[in-house]
Amino acid sequence: MLGISIFNGLVYGSLLIICASGLAMIYGLRRVVNFAHGALYMLGAYIGYSLSLHLNFWFALLLAPLVMLLLGMLLDKLVFHPLQERDPLSVLLVTFGLLLVLEDLVRATWGRASLSIEVPELLAGSVDLFGNPTPLYRLAVIGLGVGSMVALWAWLRFARTGLYVRAASTDPLTTAMMGVNTERVNALVVGIGTALAGLAGVAAAPLLSLAPSMGADVLVDSFVVVVIGGLGSLGGALISAFLLGQVQSFGTIYLPSLSAVLPFLMMIAILIWRPSGLAGNRV
Amino acid sequence: MVHFKYLLWLAAGVLLPQLLGSATLMSLLTQAVIYALFALGVGILLRQCGLVSFGHAAFFGGAGYLVALLMRDLELAAGGAILLTLLALALVGFLLGLVVSRIPGIAFGMLTLAIGQTVYLSALKSRGLLGGADGLNIHWPAGIFGLDVKLFYDPASMFVISWVVMLVVIYLLDRLFRTRFGSITCAIRDNEERARFIGLHVTLPKATVYAISAVVSGLAGILSAIYTGFISPETLHWSVSGMALIMTILGGVRALWGPILGAIFYFFVKEYVGELTDYWMAMLGAVVIVIVVFAPNGISGLIEPLLSRKQELSRKQELSRKKELSRKQKPRQSVIVNRVEVRS
Amino acid sequence: MSQPFFTVKDLVVDYGGVRAIGGVQLELQKGEIRGLIGPNGAGKSTFIDAVTGRRIPTAGQVTLGGEDITRLPVVARRMRGLSRSFQRTSIFAEMPVLEQVFLASHQAQARDPEADALAILDELDLAQYVDWRAGELGYGQQRRLDLALALVGSPSVLLLDEPMAGLTVTESRELADHLTRLARERAVTVLLVEHDMEIVFGISDAVTVLELGRLLAEGTPDQVRANPKVREAYLGSAA
Repeated sequence: MLGISIFNGLVYGSLLIICASGLAMIYGLRRVVNFAHGALYMLGAYIGYSLSLHLNFWFALLLAPLVMLLLGMLLDKLVFHPLQERDPLSVLLVTFGLLLVLEDLVRATWGRASLSIEVPELLAGSVDLFGNPTPLYRLAVIGLGVGSMVALWAWLRFARTGLYVRAASTDPLTTAMMGVNTERVNALVVGIGTALAGLAGVAAAPLLSLAPSMGADVLVDSFVVVVIGGLGSLGGALISAFLLGQVQSFGTIYLPSLSAVLPFLMMIAILIWRPSGLAGNRV
Repeated sequence: MVHFKYLLWLAAGVLLPQLLGSATLMSLLTQAVIYALFALGVGILLRQCGLVSFGHAAFFGGAGYLVALLMRDLELAAGGAILLTLLALALVGFLLGLVVSRIPGIAFGMLTLAIGQTVYLSALKSRGLLGGADGLNIHWPAGIFGLDVKLFYDPASMFVISWVVMLVVIYLLDRLFRTRFGSITCAIRDNEERARFIGLHVTLPKATVYAISAVVSGLAGILSAIYTGFISPETLHWSVSGMALIMTILGGVRALWGPILGAIFYFFVKEYVGELTDYWMAMLGAVVIVIVVFAPNGISGLIEPLLSRKQELSRKQELSRKKELSRKQKPRQSVIVNRVEVRS
Repeated sequence: MSQPFFTVKDLVVDYGGVRAIGGVQLELQKGEIRGLIGPNGAGKSTFIDAVTGRRIPTAGQVTLGGEDITRLPVVARRMRGLSRSFQRTSIFAEMPVLEQVFLASHQAQARDPEADALAILDELDLAQYVDWRAGELGYGQQRRLDLALALVGSPSVLLLDEPMAGLTVTESRELADHLTRLARERAVTVLLVEHDMEIVFGISDAVTVLELGRLLAEGTPDQVRANPKVREAYLGSAA
C-alpha cells in the first residue's frame, strides 16, 4: 500500500515536473506567466493522439514535442516578442485569451468527447517491484521524467546555448551586448518550454483520458510546483514536483480532504512569506 | 445633475423588461447584470489598487454558501443571513487584504489563485456540510427583505432588482472614490513607494479596497444564489474568477461602468455568437487578446472619449499646450562644465 | 553652536557584499543648507536612501530633533518633518498635479493644504498645470512636481537628490533662491545632493564630500574648494 502510494506519487510528479519545468523556463527567460501552458500540454496530448493513430505511439512521443517546439517558437515570435515591453500582467492576460482560443481549437479539431491512447505494446505489461506488480508504462513515465530533467540540466550546464540561456535569464541586456542573439535564445527557450508541455501531454495520454479541459488542473498544479520551487529555478521545481506528487498520492489515502488543499496552502505560505521567490531569476 | 443621470439609468432599467418582453432575453440580461456586479468587484481592485485577482470566485460562491448555511443551520431569516454574510465578507476581506494586498503584481495573482483553489477544493471535499460536488439546494423563505420570493425567480423582476442593486453599488462606489480615500488609493496604485514618502500608510487603504471588492463580489454571488436557488463548488473554481476578470478587462476599468459593459458584452457574445458557432469562447479569447494589446482601457475606454466632447476638446488643448512647452525645454547643464568650477 | 538638529552617526550600508557607505558622520544645524557632493558612485543616493528609510542601514544612527529615527518606518519619518525628493523622478503618473500635491500636503498635516499646494506649485512654475495628469507633463515639469511633493507641508528637513537635474538655468536659480528662503525664513534644514557645483557652492553653508562611501572632506564652500584631496578626486574621475 505504502509502496504503491510512493510510486504513484512519483508518476504524477514526473509528469508534473516535465510540464512545470517548461513553465519555469519560459518565466525565467521571458518573465511571462503563461496561462496557456496547460492548453499547450493538452494540445500536445491531442497531437500525440492523432500521430499515434496514424503512425504509432513512439512516433507520437517523438514528433508531438517537435511540433510543439515549432509552435512554441512561433508563439515567441508572434506573441511574447512583440509584447516584451508590456507589463507582465498584460502579457499574462494575453496568454489567458490564448488559452480560450486553444481549447476551442482543440474542440473544433478533435471534438468534445474524451479520447484515449492505448499503452504501447512494449510497455503494456507489468513487472514485480518490491513484491508489487508494477505497470511498466508508469515506470517508463518516471524514467522519462528523470531522463528529461537530466537532459535539460546537462543542456543548461554544458551546452553553449545552455550557457547563453543561463546568462540571458540573469541579465538579458548585458548578454545581448556581449553579442549573443538573445532573440534566438528566447525563441528556443519558449520552444523547448512548449515542447516540454507537449511531451508531458503525450506521456500522460495513455494514463489519463484526453479532454479539452484537461489542461486546467495541470496548469494550476504546475503553478504550484513552480511557485513552491521558486519561479525560474529548475532544481526547486524538481523537488516541489515530486513533493506535490507524494502529497497528493499519500493524501488520497490518509487525509482525503486536507490532501487536496495542502499544496495550495504551501503555495500561499510561500507567496506570503517570500513573494520575491517569484523574482528568482536562475533557470 | 449626477443624481439625475442615475435616475435616468434607473428608469431605463425598470422600463427595459416592459419594452423587450422576451423571457430568454430577460434571463440573459439578468445573468449579465449579476455577473456585471461580480466583474465590478474584481474591477475596483484593479482600478484602485492595480491588483489582478484570480480568486474572487471564493467571495462570489462563498457568499452563496454562507447564506445557505446561515439559513439552514442557524435558521436565520433570509434578510439577516444576507446582511450577516456581507458583514462577514467585509471582515474576512479586510483581514485577508491586510496580508495579501502587500504582495505585488504577478505574485498577487498567483496568491489569490491559490486561495481561491483552496476554498474550491475545501467545498468540493466537504460532503457533509457543503454537499461536496453536488452543492446545496437553497430553500429560500417566502419573502426576502419583504419582497415576494417569486420576484427573485422571475427574470423580468429579478432583472430590475439586480439592476437597482448594481446602480446603488456604482453610485456608492463613485461617491467613495471621489473622496480623499479615492485619491489615496490612486496614489498608492500609481507609486507605492512615493506614497509612503508623502506620508501615506499603504496597507490599510489597500485592504479596505480588497474588502469592498469582496463585498461587491459577494453581493453578486448572493443575487445569483437567490436567482438559481442553488449553489455548487463550480462557482468557486478559478475559471469563474478568470471569467469575471475577462469581463473586467473587456469592459475596462477607467470608468466604473466598464466592467458592467464587459459583462453584458460577454453574455451577448455567449448567446448570439454561440448561436452561430460552438466556438464562441475562442472568439472571446481573440477579443480579449485584441483588447489587451490594442485598447488596454477596454471597450469603455474606447467609448468614453466619444461620450463627452468636452473632454475631447480639453484634451486637444492639453496636447497643444504640451507641444508648446516641450519646445521651451532646454537640456540640463553639462556636469563637466560644472566640474571646472571646482578646479578653478 | 547649538545642538545639531539632524545627525547621522557612523552610518554603514552594505549591499550584495559591497560596502556602499562605510561609516559616515553628518551633523546639520536647524536652518542649515548642506551640500553633499562626490563623484559618481560615491554613495550620495545610497546615503539619502539609508537616512530616509528607503534602505535599511547596516549600522549607524540617525537622529532628528534629538529623537532616534534610524529604524522608523518611512511614514513616521515624514510625520516628523523629514521629506525627500528622488533622483529618478517619482510622481503619481495617473493623478492630476494639484490632487497629488494637495494629498502630500494634507498628509504632512499642513493647516491649509490647498493653499500650501497652490503656493508651492506657483513657486515651481507649475500653476498652469494643476489639472494635468502628471504622466502628461514634460520631463522638466515632472522633475519640479517631484520636488513639489517633497516641499509641501513645511518639512523640517529636506533631503534633495539632484533636484536641479532637468531644470533650466533660470529654474535652477529660482529653486536655489527658494531653498535659501526656506532655510533662512523657516529654518528648514536642507541636504542638497547636486551636480551643479555653482549652485551647491553658492547656497550651501557647508559642503560635505563623499568618495567611495567615505567622508573625504567637510567645511565651508571655500575650504572644500581649496582642499587638494577634493580636487584630486574630481580631477581623477573627470579624466
